[in-house]
Amino acid sequence: MTDILTLVFRTFTSQTDGGEEPTVAPASAATCRTLLVGDPCISRSLLLLAAVTAASELGVRVVFFTQTQIQSLPLCLQKRVPSLSPDSLKKIKFSYPRTLEELLQQVAGLHESAGTSPAPPALILVDGLEGYLRGPAGPGGPDPGERSRAAHLAALLCDTAAFLTHLLRPSRSDPCRVVASFRSPVDAAAEDPALDVLDRYFPARCTLDRAGGYEAAAAGLREVWHVYLSGVREREDRPAAATRERKLLISPDGDMEFRSV
Amino acid sequence: MSNTCLCGCLHLLTLPLSLFFFLSFRLKFVFGPCALQALDLVDQHSVTCLSSPSGRKAFQVVGGSGRLYTCFVSCHYCPCPAFAYTVLRRNEGLLCKHLLAVYLCQATGGTRQESVSDQQMSTLLGGTAAM
Repeated sequence: MTDILTLVFRTFTSQTDGGEEPTVAPASAATCRTLLVGDPCISRSLLLLAAVTAASELGVRVVFFTQTQIQSLPLCLQKRVPSLSPDSLKKIKFSYPRTLEELLQQVAGLHESAGTSPAPPALILVDGLEGYLRGPAGPGGPDPGERSRAAHLAALLCDTAAFLTHLLRPSRSDPCRVVASFRSPVDAAAEDPALDVLDRYFPARCTLDRAGGYEAAAAGLREVWHVYLSGVREREDRPAAATRERKLLISPDGDMEFRSV
Repeated sequence: MSNTCLCGCLHLLTLPLSLFFFLSFRLKFVFGPCALQALDLVDQHSVTCLSSPSGRKAFQVVGGSGRLYTCFVSCHYCPCPAFAYTVLRRNEGLLCKHLLAVYLCQATGGTRQESVSDQQMSTLLGGTAAM
């Protein structure tokens, strides 16, 4: 769901950034499902920013699936999200399925409570798909069932989002979105079977790539990351497949800020 | 009945049959060997649309071996070995016979209907039931 990620970028962009402000395009079928690929810590922070931004700025319910407990929210949230409040945070439901089977059951069960809750969730976030999909490698190489597991989980997320979109339609024109993070242990040049399957179900991709060299140190920062958005049209005047790049700057105290490139 | 009218009627009688063979040929050309297998599944009324009180739906197909395969309504996926191998791993096919049977039944209105509870639907979608 690149439009929510674009909203995150806009919310957490420095006011002094001279670049053009990203326009938040309406969600389409292609932007409804985005795969976040890269460092697990940064991906997790980005997902949390998306969750809080969606709950506070858009007022939608969010479901966040992750294997590890969330201990704290990113530092930049208090500074940059003026509408952040306990009421908005209550719109986010955190679930901690430990295994793929538990995750599948919890996602499959979202329809059960959708009709009784005040509003069905409009954003589904899944942190660390690789932790759920990896199985033991056999003597013949990678786990042969990994592709099937990836397809089942991805298809279930897509189908669930489509069903929730149908429930949301009377009151909201935006669809239910899915953003999932995945870290490939395979070298970038090699083919990752799970990622290959996930690409079939997630048309949009947001790639995180750490900047090398001395860029961070020279700017007095802890880390600098390149953020690439691909697979969707973000602005009306840009072609559909244009890849948009931004930079993510992380200061020594953990504050996060995006900057246009 | 005049000869002209009789010829016209005979032509109308043969038209659906030729159209059937033409469409079957097109299906096989596009989808390969699974096209005829899918048509067999359709003939055997093997496709059922499951609905739950929440409004969630899914398709269930009885495979050739008698196994049940649960397919999603809005997404391209089947838990059968052919989908895993031919589509996902080898990228040699668009879909398996079960998915094609679902699409054919949707197009022809030949899907059976069945109701399940919300919990049963969750179990089927999550894959913990016998798929």
